[in-house]
Amino acid sequence: MNHDFSKLPEIFERYPDTPASLIAVLQDIQKEYHFLPCHALEETARHLDVPLSKVFSVSTFYNAFSLNPKGEKVIRICIGTTCHIRGAMQIQQQLENLLEIKAGETTEDLKFTLEVVACVGACAMAPVVAVNEDFHGGITVANAKRLVKTKKKTKKGKA
Amino acid sequence: MRVEKTSQLAKLQKTFLEKMNKHDRTVLICCGPGCLANGAQKISDEFHKVLKKKKIKGFSIEALKETGCHGFCEQGPLVIIEPDGIFYTRVKVKDVEEIIDTSIKKKEVVERLLYTDQATDKTYETYSEIPFYKLQHRVALRNIGKIRQCDIEEYIAVGGYQGMAKALTKMKPMEVIDEVTTSGLRGRGGGGFPAGRKWATCAKIDDEPRYVICNGDEGDPGAFMDRAIMEGDPHSVLEGMIIAAYAVGAQDGYIYVREEYPLAVVNIQKAIEQATELGLLGENILGTGFNLNLHVSRGGGAFVCGESSALMRSVAGEVGEPRAKYIRSVQKGVFDKPTVLNNVESYANVPVIIEKGGKWFATLGTPKSTGTKAFSLVGKVRNTGLIEVPMGTTLRQIIYDIGGGVIDNKPLKAVQTGGPSGGCLPEDKLDLSVDFDTLTKAGSMMGSGGMIVMDERTCVVDVAKYFLKFLNDESCGKCVPCREGLYQLHALAVAISEGRATEEDLDKMEKLSDNIVIGSLCGLGKSGPNPFLSTIQYFRDEYLAHIKDKKCPAGVCRELITYKVDAEKCDGCMACIAACAQKCITGKKGEPHVINQERCDKCGACYAVCNKRDAIEVA
Amino acid sequence: MVTLTVNGRVVQAQEGEMLLEVIRREGIDIPALCHHEAVEPFGACRLCMVEITKEAWDGWTNHVTSCLYPVEQDLIVSTHTPKVNELRKSVLDLQLARCPNSPEIRKLAAEYGVNETSFESKPDADNCILCGLCTRICDKMGFNAISTVGRGHGKEIAPPMHEAPPDCVGCLSCALNCPTNVIEYSDVNGKRTIWGKQFELIKCSECGKTTITREFAQALSDRKGIPIEYFEKCDHCHRKELSLTMGQVAGWSKEVQS
Repeated sequence: MNHDFSKLPEIFERYPDTPASLIAVLQDIQKEYHFLPCHALEETARHLDVPLSKVFSVSTFYNAFSLNPKGEKVIRICIGTTCHIRGAMQIQQQLENLLEIKAGETTEDLKFTLEVVACVGACAMAPVVAVNEDFHGGITVANAKRLVKTKKKTKKGKA
Repeated sequence: MRVEKTSQLAKLQKTFLEKMNKHDRTVLICCGPGCLANGAQKISDEFHKVLKKKKIKGFSIEALKETGCHGFCEQGPLVIIEPDGIFYTRVKVKDVEEIIDTSIKKKEVVERLLYTDQATDKTYETYSEIPFYKLQHRVALRNIGKIRQCDIEEYIAVGGYQGMAKALTKMKPMEVIDEVTTSGLRGRGGGGFPAGRKWATCAKIDDEPRYVICNGDEGDPGAFMDRAIMEGDPHSVLEGMIIAAYAVGAQDGYIYVREEYPLAVVNIQKAIEQATELGLLGENILGTGFNLNLHVSRGGGAFVCGESSALMRSVAGEVGEPRAKYIRSVQKGVFDKPTVLNNVESYANVPVIIEKGGKWFATLGTPKSTGTKAFSLVGKVRNTGLIEVPMGTTLRQIIYDIGGGVIDNKPLKAVQTGGPSGGCLPEDKLDLSVDFDTLTKAGSMMGSGGMIVMDERTCVVDVAKYFLKFLNDESCGKCVPCREGLYQLHALAVAISEGRATEEDLDKMEKLSDNIVIGSLCGLGKSGPNPFLSTIQYFRDEYLAHIKDKKCPAGVCRELITYKVDAEKCDGCMACIAACAQKCITGKKGEPHVINQERCDKCGACYAVCNKRDAIEVA
Repeated sequence: MVTLTVNGRVVQAQEGEMLLEVIRREGIDIPALCHHEAVEPFGACRLCMVEITKEAWDGWTNHVTSCLYPVEQDLIVSTHTPKVNELRKSVLDLQLARCPNSPEIRKLAAEYGVNETSFESKPDADNCILCGLCTRICDKMGFNAISTVGRGHGKEIAPPMHEAPPDCVGCLSCALNCPTNVIEYSDVNGKRTIWGKQFELIKCSECGKTTITREFAQALSDRKGIPIEYFEKCDHCHRKELSLTMGQVAGWSKEVQS
């Protein structure tokens, strides 16, 4: 897969050149490329003067990072306690069946990634499902379908 | 323009307050986490769109404000018309024009959007009379929902940065520490360590530089108090941190915000810029010569980073592996330097403590747990939302008087407090006072303030299993008791929920739990077994039902339940057939449906959509 | 100097020493799998836990990892109370569940009465106990070639991207110090393979024995300012040469004296 790495210097410019900037830099790279390409990790190690092994260790420790490309729409099902007792598991099952992937995976066409997240802090509107940075509350087995269909429709419409 | 004198700040307050009050009517649109998830942004956009088109005499678009969490999330999206406090609930985009025509153009009320208390059938025009609001006492949440979100002018207008001005110009650092000590403020993140003592210890350490850190890694599922504060009133946190930094002699600080709160990151950053521009942060604050630089540090997504030593490692760009507590972070914290770390809500309380005095704060709450506490009241309770009450309020008062009781008037089975490290307390414990120590004695804990109400359709074995999986997933993996112990504890909980366990397994779990508690390196491990220990203490019978009878009384654990259609109640609507992913329900329209038990995977989707007709039973 | 009691014996220690050093100095044997004198204590394996108390604590006791706990005046330390033994037993039981095939863990567990694990275990599991000692030693050596990867139960030790680590010099410090001998390496026909990376071993110009890798030699040369040619001879041959030289010097001094 070919990526345009010319964005990297701009990302590095945003933060001080110290090891303490590692997580922030990796987050911006994740946002830009939807994952952490190997080359970007190597460049980060070089730029921040952090051993490559440490960069890799941090990349695999935190939930925010993915070493595999994520989809354009990242669907995060909240499985926090409140969402759990209000039926998040059924919703997860629904979405897994609809997209034909399991949580943690991405559709082959790279359009959707399905994830579970521990808690997004919108507990009063449980169950909550986030699509990229949009949060949707009060999701049920019935309207969860619509959520994915709507998003799928958007893509088709745009094409 | 930089504020270089307290007299200038006082003048600004007057100016900004006049600006705030000059509007005849103000429209507050709640953009707290719950309302946002329910479409509040679209409602706000609609208000702006319509008002730009319809120019209303005497109403400026400046009087339209997006605020932080107003609190009554269950009834959201909320729109409030001040100064009367008219309270509109469950507002939809299509209601916006009517609200504008009725309550802004004219001074009337849209009756159908008002709140009606289901229990008493009483309708309320204003929010201040509603028991949900009346019984609260908001200190940390004082401004949220009242002022424009992340707006320094409105923050100053309502008295913001006065506490900081008093501390920096009229008090010596030691006097600030004394005031906080007198207040009795204990860590609101759940640890409950006296803030004054922490600051005093750090101030005495002979090492430089010093740091102040704000723990905004609210990882407890079910809790969103800190999120509401960081998004809705970020300046209260900054002001608290400036006062703390002055007290302990720190010139640098970090606000650690978890990765799952992108709006909080944006708002805190915005607030830092706003305060720096006015000279209330950064170099030469308020012309006093005191400098403090604050930076946002974004979490990478790890619950363990809520633990202070792990958080500090994360700030330094490392993996969030905690360190044994024998080395205190006030002495060797972030970058191995003296550090004061406090929670978001703790800092939000500090400005008020300095302004009104520690003695005043200590009159609220109880002698050992002074002040108030914010809670996120969620789960199977009628009035879900964000509340703040004096310490010492009982669980019953919170759940019933403020919360309106359990949905559908069902009996309360348990209330889970303290997040994953806490526990479940049954109905007969509801008269316990909520504070740092009482709930801990009963086998749970107050924790950071998440309070989840559970009814009979919540299985405690399932809840324990859920928390154990969560904690095991979030374990950093450094020490054996937590990494391996919680894994095995979870495996045994799964066995119980699948009807494969024996009574000896319960003994094994209790013994293992004891060793995990003593043997683990950090708080995550040490409190890891709590979900199991607290539920086995009060709900042993439910565990035994799973083990001996191979039944799940709450109808939750999949291996032990069956879904059946009651042919007499079923009206053949086919909703369940549409919802079934396994395609194992058959039946024509208008005729009773049948579930093929062999193919059914017990996902419960059919039960969820049928609930209205009640024709599917779970046994 | 600090005075404390260990298993009833009154002992002295230097300020800043950790309990484990004192305990070992007294000849008391407690396991500490993730510990090594060359690196900072880590507190991961929990086997070195001991009970501590003080008279002033009125009967309150605490359990701490002795590798990380500094000595304190009047501390009373007990290394083998029933509770401490039970803790070690539980930890070893859990370790055995992770590594059922490791002879070292089996042996240690048996000492504490655990012959088979009482928990779920995978029959084909490897013997890595995730003590992290290899990574810490590699960091101390200055190479930082490997690290912990992932988090929690799925954690593992691996080189970056699970490929041959660019920073590894083949010094074997990790493999030689692994408590369960998990790290594989091979020296065959003048080539060393470890972590999926191949290195050339230097052959001593005198005796022909293989010594260290070229990469390790280069790193030592760069760091310590030692000319790279030094590494063309093995230690043995260097010592032989040195002893001959010393002999000559001694001989000359005899001549001078006489």
